Amino acid sequence: MKLRIALYVLLAVVAVLLPLVAPPIVNNMILRVGSLVMLAISWNLAANAGLISLGHSAFWGLGSYAALLVANKLGWPFFASLVPAMIIGAASAAAIAVITGRLKGIFFAIAMLALSEGLRVIAVMTPDFTGGGAGVFIDQALRPTTQTVAMVTAFCAVACAAIAYLISLTPFHYACRAMRNNESVSEMLGINPLRFRIAVLSLSGAMASLAGGVNIWYSGFLDPMIGFDLHVTILAQIAPILGGIHTLAGPIIGAFATIGLSELTRVLLGEQGVSLLVYGLILVFSILYMPKGIVGTWNSWVEYRSRGASRAKVGATKAAPL
Amino acid sequence: MSFFWQCLIDSLLLGGLYSLMSIGLSLGFGVTRIINFAHGEMIMFGAYGAYFASILLGVDPLLSLPLVAIVVAVTAAVLFKALIEKVLNAPHINQILLLFGISLALQNVAAILWTGDARSVATPYSLTAFEFETLLVPHGRVIAFVVAIILIIALFCWLRLSELGRATRAVAENGQAATLMGINVSRMYMLSFGINAALGAATGAISSFLLTITPFMGFHMLAKAFAIVVLGGLGSVPGTIIGAFALAFAETWVSYYVPEGNGWAEGVAFIVLLFVLTIRPKGILGQAEAVH
Repeated sequence: MKLRIALYVLLAVVAVLLPLVAPPIVNNMILRVGSLVMLAISWNLAANAGLISLGHSAFWGLGSYAALLVANKLGWPFFASLVPAMIIGAASAAAIAVITGRLKGIFFAIAMLALSEGLRVIAVMTPDFTGGGAGVFIDQALRPTTQTVAMVTAFCAVACAAIAYLISLTPFHYACRAMRNNESVSEMLGINPLRFRIAVLSLSGAMASLAGGVNIWYSGFLDPMIGFDLHVTILAQIAPILGGIHTLAGPIIGAFATIGLSELTRVLLGEQGVSLLVYGLILVFSILYMPKGIVGTWNSWVEYRSRGASRAKVGATKAAPL
Repeated sequence: MSFFWQCLIDSLLLGGLYSLMSIGLSLGFGVTRIINFAHGEMIMFGAYGAYFASILLGVDPLLSLPLVAIVVAVTAAVLFKALIEKVLNAPHINQILLLFGISLALQNVAAILWTGDARSVATPYSLTAFEFETLLVPHGRVIAFVVAIILIIALFCWLRLSELGRATRAVAENGQAATLMGINVSRMYMLSFGINAALGAATGAISSFLLTITPFMGFHMLAKAFAIVVLGGLGSVPGTIIGAFALAFAETWVSYYVPEGNGWAEGVAFIVLLFVLTIRPKGILGQAEAVH
C-alpha cells in the first residue's frame, strides 16, 4: 500500500515537472489531458452523489469568463485570476444545488442543460461586459508561457485527483453512496441530503471552473460558443463513463482514453463530426455493454480470474450495483 | 394597439408549434418514465425528410408529412427495441446517458450525411401573408398552427377513444396494474415511443418551411421543450399545452417589448425553467412524485 502511494506521488511529480523538458506538442497533450482529468473528476464527484450533469460546460465557461474578465478589466495575473474562477464555479454550483433541492436526477440534468444554454445566451447578449458573440482576446501582456500553463494544469489535475482520493477516505464518500442509492433511507440514517449535495456540487463546480480558467490562458480567445460549448459537456461525461463511473481511477484513465480515441479518429477519419459521432456511439456502447467502464471491467475480470471460472459463473450473472 | 394584437397573434401561432414540439416528450415520459433526450433528433429528421421530399420529389412538406412521420416512427420503434428497452429498469443515470448518447450519434450522422449547412424549404405560402390593416399574419405560420392543432386533437381522440389509446393511458397511470389487466406493456412502450417520435417528426416537417434546418436544430428545440414540459408538469399532456402557450407568449413579449429582444427571447426558456424548478418543481399540472 505504501509502495503504491509512493508510486502515485512519483507519477504526479513527473506529470507536473514534465512540461519543463517536453516539446510543445507534448505540452499541448498535457493541457488537453490535464483539463479533461479535472473535468472528469469533477463530473464523477457529482455523479457519485447521484447527480448527472448534462451541462458541465456551464462551470467551464463561467471559469473561463471569470479568469478572462479579471485579467482584462482589472489586470489580474494568471495565478490570481484562478481564484475568482473557482469561486464563481462553486457559487453557481451551490445555487443549482439549492434550486434543484430535493428533486431527483432528471431535474438536475435538465437544470444543468438549461444553465449552460442560458449562460450562453447571456454571454452573447451582454457584449459590453463579455465581448459578446464576436469574442474577446485575453490581455497578451499578462499571458504566461505555455510551459507554465501546462505545469499548472498538470498540478491542478493532480490536486483534483488527490482531493477525490482524500474524500474517498472520509465518511463523506459513504454518505454520497447512500444518497445515490436511496435518498430517503440516507435521510433516515441522519444524512442531510441538501447539505451534502451543496458541498459535493460546490467542489465539483470549482474543479470544472478551474479547468476552464486555466484553459483560457492557454487558448487566449473566448466567445460564448467556445465557453459554453456542448463539446465540453460531452467530454466531461464520456471520460468517467468510459474509464469507470463511481471509481477513483476511472475518470483519470477515461480522460487518457478519450483524448487517445479523439486523436485516433482525427488521424484516421479527419472530420470533426466523426469524432462526435464516435463519442455518441461510445456512450451508447458503454452504457449497454460496459456500464462499469474500463476500471470496473478490469476489476471484474481480475476477480473472475482469482475466483476460478467454475465458481465465478454463478456470481457473474448477477451484476454488482454501481 | 395593433402592436399588442400583432404580439398576441404571433404568440398564439408559435404556441401551436411549441405544443406539438413538446407533447411527444411529455407523453413519452408519462408512459415509459424515460426522458427522451433524442426527441430533438426526431424533429430534425422530420425536417430533413420534408426538405428532401420537397427538393428531390417536389412534394409539399404538408403532403410528405404523414410518410415522414411514419418512417421516423418505425425507425424510432426499432431503436427503442434494440437499445432503449434494455435500460427501462436501469438506474436513471444509465437512461439519461444512453438517450444523450443516441442523440449525439444521430446529430452527427446527420451532420456527416448532409453537412452542417443551414437549409430551408421554399413553399408557395412561405412568403405570403394575410394583411388586416396593420396586422401581418404569415400564411406559413397559420398553416403550421392548424396542422399542429389537428394533430394534437387527433392524439387526444386516439388516447380517449381507441383501445390502444386507453391502454397507453393505463400504462402511464400504473404499469404493473396494466400488466395485470392483460396489456402487453412492452409493446405499448414501443408503440408510444414510435408515436412520440412521429409527433416530433411532424413538428420537424411543419417547421421545415418556418425555420432553418440544420443537424443541430434538435438540441435547441429539445432545450425549449424541456422548459415547456417542466413548466406544464412532467407527464401531463394538458399541462404541456398550457406550458407551450405560456412559453410562446413569454418569448414573443420579450422579443417585442425588450430592447434587443430577439436575442434575449432565446434565453427566456431557460430562465422559465430555472424559475419553475425553484418555486414549483411539479409544474402547473404535473406530479413530481412520479419522478421519485
